[in-house]
Amino acid sequence: MRTACVFIPHFAIAVELLDRPDGRPDGRGRPAVIGGGQGRGKAVLDCSPEAEAQGVRRGMPLRQALALCPKAVFLDPDPARYQDAFEAVLRALEGISPLVEAAELGRAYVGVDGLDGLHRDEMALGDALVQACLPDRQAVRLAHGQGRPAGSLLPSVGLGEGKFVAWAAAVTSAPGEACVVPAGRETAFLSPLDVSLLPCSPDTLRRLELLGLRTIGDLAALPLGAVQAQFGPEGRRLWELAHGLDREPLRPRRHEESASERLTFPEPTVSTGALLTAGRQLLSRLFRRPALRGRAVRQMRLRAALSDGRSWERTVTFREATADRDQMLYVLRCTLEAALPSRPVEEVELTLSGLTGETGKQEGLFAEKGRRLAQLEEALRQLKARFGQSPVYHIVEVEPWSRIPERRLALIDYDP
Amino acid sequence: MVAHPRAPARSHRLRPLREPRPIAVEADGEGRPAAVTLSGRRLRVLQVQDTWRIDDEWWRERPVSRVYYEVALEDGRTPIVYRNLVTDGWFKQAY
Repeated sequence: MRTACVFIPHFAIAVELLDRPDGRPDGRGRPAVIGGGQGRGKAVLDCSPEAEAQGVRRGMPLRQALALCPKAVFLDPDPARYQDAFEAVLRALEGISPLVEAAELGRAYVGVDGLDGLHRDEMALGDALVQACLPDRQAVRLAHGQGRPAGSLLPSVGLGEGKFVAWAAAVTSAPGEACVVPAGRETAFLSPLDVSLLPCSPDTLRRLELLGLRTIGDLAALPLGAVQAQFGPEGRRLWELAHGLDREPLRPRRHEESASERLTFPEPTVSTGALLTAGRQLLSRLFRRPALRGRAVRQMRLRAALSDGRSWERTVTFREATADRDQMLYVLRCTLEAALPSRPVEEVELTLSGLTGETGKQEGLFAEKGRRLAQLEEALRQLKARFGQSPVYHIVEVEPWSRIPERRLALIDYDP
Repeated sequence: MVAHPRAPARSHRLRPLREPRPIAVEADGEGRPAAVTLSGRRLRVLQVQDTWRIDDEWWRERPVSRVYYEVALEDGRTPIVYRNLVTDGWFKQAY
């Protein structure tokens, strides 16, 4: 499948710099690091290329980042703002193709099969994708050859067969430009690129380098059997990617029905009571809407605009779809008591999503035990969906006769 | 050397219970525990209540050879610790 990758490196940093006229965090060209913030641990979320050049990496503790780059400007993260900016990019891309996958913040894949009739060629399609990501003023400026606008979300675009080739093309092209890999030329295109572009674990990458495999072409030149014998199934996948064979399908995002209401405070507030009153008001407004009449919701998101211009956001997923406002308010109170916004709140927005048609539950007369088991399994399925794996285990006897204590019992995933 | 026979296919999903945890133990002249550090607190051993030895899997690459001690500490707790005779380290373990 012909796929385009739209890649905006250091997306969070780019969003932070959008409002600054010179595109610098403090006007003096100092490196920037985003990280920390209330309830988010003390790790680097993103950093500018200047900070990266000094050894700062994503996920690194902030203390270490400060030691490596003491002159950097450290910014509190504003994930809601980054998400909004990325959402705008995704919507713009959906104006070109309905098949858009949000891989991560700043990286999206677009299915471009069948679009050749709408654009002169794939290069023109790539340019259209670049233009789509820019606000109008910046797009005009770029079209007139005035260079990269300061503080912009300027993407690199790659087009190729499958997601990996498209991504490699995007990574190797300059910001604001598109790189097209013609069908059948994947292996030749990938061949000179560094093996670190391959999606593999740090350990595998280290072993590849120890074996003297510096480029993707070095890996592609080896027989599949040898690579598979050394690296197992991961080796097979890497070998296939090195030949431009990517079996991973495009997963276009789905649009979920949701409803939002917002309320502005006359004065910025830090009181839980005021926020809860606002929550009650917003819920009653939302449930008055015809679209929500007789329906239940699965997810509730509260977003607050803070007095310092940043935002605060919490999302709650209900165990079962509910239309009970008291239950929602209780959950809202618990959420606010657990982590109240750090600054006064100027505006709150409540969004309800995962709308369902169920508002009640029919209890059975006899099958209580079976029902409880089914409820338990449903709860476990929800936990698994939330955490990626089941956090509940069975205790099983492995070698109950063993004299070695750790051999007798073990935990095994409870996977309904 | 005999290969380990436990089923490898599902081993990544099994999490052993009662795994030993390294612990700081001061031994007396006879090699018996005299003081144990728990949660950063050094606690004197008032009495060794029981002791036993396990030697197993001597035919494998990593044999098991441990001397267990059930000790009474000055704060009233009675943990079980063992000395790994192969690596000469101390561990705490629920038995």
